[in-house]
This record gives sequence, structure tokens and C-alpha cells, in this order.
Amino acid sequence: MINLLSYTCIGIGIFFWFWGTLPLLGKKSVLFKLHSLSVADTLGSMAIVFGLLLKIPREWPLLVLTIITLALWNTMLGYVLAYCSSSGGENERA
Amino acid sequence: MGTIGNLILRLTIWFLLTSDLSVANIIIGVAIAVLLPRSYTSHESVKAWCRAFQKILLAIPQAYLEAFELIIRPHNAEDVVLEKIQYPRSPGLIFLEIFLITFTPKTIVVKSRADGYYEIHRVLRRAKNS
Amino acid sequence: MNNLILIAMILALLIPICEAWKDENIWQTMLAFASISTKTAIIALVVSVLRDDWMLGVVAAIILSVGNAGLMLLAHILKRMRES
Repeated sequence: MINLLSYTCIGIGIFFWFWGTLPLLGKKSVLFKLHSLSVADTLGSMAIVFGLLLKIPREWPLLVLTIITLALWNTMLGYVLAYCSSSGGENERA
Repeated sequence: MGTIGNLILRLTIWFLLTSDLSVANIIIGVAIAVLLPRSYTSHESVKAWCRAFQKILLAIPQAYLEAFELIIRPHNAEDVVLEKIQYPRSPGLIFLEIFLITFTPKTIVVKSRADGYYEIHRVLRRAKNS
Repeated sequence: MNNLILIAMILALLIPICEAWKDENIWQTMLAFASISTKTAIIALVVSVLRDDWMLGVVAAIILSVGNAGLMLLAHILKRMRES
């Protein structure tokens, strides 16, 4: 039962990864890609790590720390990238 | 409140990183947490912090909901809106608010301006007026 | 099953690598690199859990907690260079 649940979480995470990363190849604006990347890299990775946590609860301190740092750093990186890219060269971009 | 919250945060990170509850490790952790310099003294009320933590817990399921919504119905339009900063005096709570807005996949804070507004970038299903 | 998971993750990792290789806009490249850094760390974490190796997991957690800081600094430097 728990095994099934953990594989479901990991599967959802990998699906998020593909869904959120594929728009990178298209021709959208940086901010739009940032939205889909936040789905992939923050939420998808959190789902994968949560699945791992269900699989092997013995390593919980490491995995909980990973979830916290993932949420914090990826969100901050999203903000910093949005801020820098929008106030830098808005008009140079096609 | 600020200093105690700071100490608890540092100790939590220390114990998660080392995952060792022996006496020696506890002493080292407390010593490091006390000795590390504090950057600023903040005077937020306990109530504001509690509300912020509640919002964080609510934001996680909401973020997943928005992610599924984005996947099921493609959002192709985008726009920028302004929103008022709720606690302009306190750097800690401003950070939390920016974190919460950026954490949900549909909205990203682009800039927090000096006149008390955030510039928020959103994705929408279709353009409003074009 | 576990191998399938790893293969899928490595395939997902190839997408941002391809993007970083072919795109010439600097901000798109930065996005791709941010994605690569997170994905590699998560792959390392998955390998560590599958092999039940604590040290590898510590390395992955450290990569995750310091890896993005460099990218943030780089973004600020790029912004400064644009302005001057």
C-alpha cells in the first residue's frame, strides 16, 4: 500500500518534470517559462522527494531538509530571475 | 519573539542536517545558534507570525491545485498587476509574502517597489482585452 | 521499476541541457541552468535512497542548499552589466 503510494508520488513528480520542462524549448517569454518551471522544479521535485520519504522513512532528516531547501531556494531563485530579467533588457528581447 | 524564533529556526536546521541528538551535538548546536550574529531586531507581533505560518501550510495544497489547473487547461495569456504590501514595516513578513506569492505557480512577484506595491506577473486562460 | 524511474529522470534532464546548448538568449540559458542544477541534485538524492547510501544523500542535500546561490549572484551580475 505504502509502496504504491510512494510510486504514485514519484510518478506525479516525473510527470510534472516533463510537463514543466518541455515549454523551455518553445518560443515563449522568460516569465512564462518561469511559471511552468516552478511547477516542474519546485512542486515536481517536492512530490518526488515525498515519494522517497514514504519509501525509506529512515532517512527522514535529510529528506525533510531537502524539501524545505527546495521550496525556499527555488522560489527565491524564481523571484531573483524574474526581477533581474525584467528590469534588465526588456526591449532587447524579441 | 524575534530572537527566540531565530534560535528555534537555527536549531531545527542544525538537527536536521546532523540528525544526531547526543548531548555533545546539542551543546554544539546551541552554541552555534547563540554565537551566530543576528542581522536585525524585528518587532512583529506573534499573531502576525502565526497567521503567516498558517498561510504557508495552506499554500502547499493550493500550489498543487494551481499546477493541476495549469496542466488541464492551458493558460496562454499573461499580464502584470499591482498589489499592496500588507506589512510594509517588517522585512521578515515582506519576505514571507513574496515567498508565498511566488510559490504558487500562477503568480510571480517581479518587483517590490518602494511606494508600497508589488508588481505581480500572472498567467491567464485568455487575454482580457485584446 | 527503479531503473525506469532513473531513465525517465535522465530523459527529463536532457531537455534543459538541449535548451542551454541551442538558445542564445542569456536569460533563457539561465533558466535552463537553474533547471539542470535542481534536477541533478534530485537525481543524486534518488540514487542515494535507492542504494541506501547516506553519504550520497548528504552530498545531494548540500548541493541543493548551496547550488542555487551562485546562480542568483550570476543573475545580479548580468543585470549590473546590462545597466552599465
